[in-house]
Amino acid sequence: MKCFVACLMLVGLAALDPPYDPAPHLALIAKTGPQGEGAAAAKLARDELAKHGIEVLPQLLVAMDTSNAVAANWYRTVYEEIVARELARDGTTWPVEFFKEYISDAKRVGRPRRLVLGLLDQLEPMFREKWLPTRLDDAEFRYEAVGLAVTAGDRALKDKDQAAAKAEFRKAFEAARDSTQVTQAAAKLKSLGESADAVQHLGLVTEWWLVGPFDAPQKTGFAKVFEPEGKVELQAKYRGQDGAEIAWKRHHETDTLGQLDLNKQLGTTREAVGYAYSEIDVPREQAAQVRCGADDNCSVWLNGQKVFGRDQWLNGTRFDRFITPIQLKAGRNTLLVKACQGPQHKDPEVPNNWSLQLRLCDEQGRGIEFKTSL
Amino acid sequence: MQKLLVVVLFVALTASVHAENWPGWRGPDRNGVTSDTGVPTTWSATENVLWKMPLPGIGTSNPVVWGDKVFVTASEGRDQGELHVICFDRDTGRERWHQRLWGTAPTLFYGRSGMASPSPVTDGKRLFAFFGTGDVFCFDLDGGLLWQRAIADEYGPFENRFAAASSPLLFEDKLIVQCDHYGASYVIALDQQTGANRWKSDRPEVWLSWSSPQLVPSGDRIELVLSGSEKLDGYDPRTGSRLWTLRGLARECVPTPVLGLGMLFVVSGPNGTHIAIKPGGSGDITDSHVVWKNDRGTSFVPSAILVGERYYLADDKGIGSCLDARTGKLLWKKRFGDKFTASPVAADGKLFFTNEAGSTLVLDVTQAGYEEVARNDIGEEVHASPAISQGKFFLRTAKNLVCVGIK
Repeated sequence: MKCFVACLMLVGLAALDPPYDPAPHLALIAKTGPQGEGAAAAKLARDELAKHGIEVLPQLLVAMDTSNAVAANWYRTVYEEIVARELARDGTTWPVEFFKEYISDAKRVGRPRRLVLGLLDQLEPMFREKWLPTRLDDAEFRYEAVGLAVTAGDRALKDKDQAAAKAEFRKAFEAARDSTQVTQAAAKLKSLGESADAVQHLGLVTEWWLVGPFDAPQKTGFAKVFEPEGKVELQAKYRGQDGAEIAWKRHHETDTLGQLDLNKQLGTTREAVGYAYSEIDVPREQAAQVRCGADDNCSVWLNGQKVFGRDQWLNGTRFDRFITPIQLKAGRNTLLVKACQGPQHKDPEVPNNWSLQLRLCDEQGRGIEFKTSL
Repeated sequence: MQKLLVVVLFVALTASVHAENWPGWRGPDRNGVTSDTGVPTTWSATENVLWKMPLPGIGTSNPVVWGDKVFVTASEGRDQGELHVICFDRDTGRERWHQRLWGTAPTLFYGRSGMASPSPVTDGKRLFAFFGTGDVFCFDLDGGLLWQRAIADEYGPFENRFAAASSPLLFEDKLIVQCDHYGASYVIALDQQTGANRWKSDRPEVWLSWSSPQLVPSGDRIELVLSGSEKLDGYDPRTGSRLWTLRGLARECVPTPVLGLGMLFVVSGPNGTHIAIKPGGSGDITDSHVVWKNDRGTSFVPSAILVGERYYLADDKGIGSCLDARTGKLLWKKRFGDKFTASPVAADGKLFFTNEAGSTLVLDVTQAGYEEVARNDIGEEVHASPAISQGKFFLRTAKNLVCVGIK
């Protein structure tokens, strides 16, 4: 009888136990930061969290929606442990609807959403196929969605359904932000007689005035100030390399991705500086990004103010190499770009490229709408 | 006390106290050489293969072996930001644990290595893994995460077109990581226990390298040596202060210096130079500490190896050379065949050169001249340097981890 009462009491006490609240442990992990700070406490919290089951996943996933890279990985170790354990046993009731809602919220950080999509692949193998094509406007999954649209277009072409192919390629083109996907979709549209301007889509500046080469021995070009940095006067004449008179010349760049070959435009040379100038009109004041690259190095002035400059040599012009936030004013904006040419590499086989590339876009990489007012 | 530490380090560097393990980049002494014996000299895709396990993603970090555990890192994903640290059972290949983590700031990368070029390192209690994403992780040997540093968040993302490749080293209670890139380069020492900075030394004049640091005993001090950006720098590993600089290396350095015979051997190429120097000195030692130079057959990626008094190297194009380590004089030169990314390893009087096609050339280095023992084709591409431990040869191929041993 005593034993029965004791059992009853235990059951009663257990029933009175409040459910586990992961919030304090999640909060401890959120405090981890630079210098390994908070690691010991995070480890203890992590170990506690990992003792629990899928009931903590929703709160855990909400916590994983963080820009704290260190905390995110601590959370991930918990997630991986719980998910592996639950997958290994039968009868788990997964919060599938929560997972679907979570991964469909494009405002959340992408990586944990991708992680959950991987889990859904195991829980509902057909889900991805249906869901992914709908993510054309989702920064995390756009690349795959665009790829699927291109594939669907190719399939339609094979089935001789040109209208469907055009629709899919158009969808891909409009949604694409990756330069390779943009040019690929544009090429497919053009092959079907459709218009698609990849340069405009990416916001590449291709209309320029160019001047150079100015003389800049060794690697002095980055720091050395030449006349255009003071004031751009398109009618002015300057003293260039070897005493030659140099002047601004108009240039329209035809490269698919707007890359200027300055060796071709200003003459093959070494230890020199060249400038590119453009004016663009935008309808309203707006935040944007200038994305640029140059070989050997690159400096950018917007409306007379220097907004970017990196003193680097022999490292190549790569698409979107440098990204700088800018504020464009309504109406006319001026852009001045300086690209240096360093000494020939001591290995004569290393090409002495002299090039630049620049575009104006939003945070997602979609070109902003502008007109060149040169 | 300092002298004692120097002696301890010297013994560790020369006599391979942990010869049975392969605790980090290029083994117990970071030079590719182990005192292990009974290592197989012949194998194929099937012969003498004890086990073979598939690996996720890509990577060129070398396998690390401690006791009955083998550790490998890898990365995958479109931006290679998905990181893996995996522990296999040395004897069976069974996966003992597998940690999946996010990399903070993936960079451009080489298609074979992704973010997993740097080899992890262990002291037998903890495993430290550095990735090209600018992250350092510390685990216990059972896979429990102890601390992590997102140094790309703290000091800026790396700018690197092939992803960082420098393998960290352990010194006293510090983990030392060389972070050379197109942005603000630095070398940093982290507390092994907590991950906190012990010191950080900026390298503003440096632009990029993929080389790994090396420790060099020199008189009553120990020097931390880093190669990169046309020079070699010696630092005090306890404080991070720079001691000396030697000019004359290539613009972009990949191989790790090796030491022996009281000298440090540095190579950087292609079309660069082998340089043997006496450690020590202060300031610019370019004109004062060079013992010899040789500009024939330098490599871009593979490191060299010193066995006895001979210095061996296979360049990227597959040309093998043997130099007299005391004089730099070329003793022989052979076309080994195919290209090389992996660095050579040596054990039990044998030297192993594994090329990109997966063929390992075995040389007998107890003989004076070129003495070929075998050519063993594993049947898969290999870009990672092998590991040798406890009579087993570990090959990380493009897709698998293969354990070779005498059956």
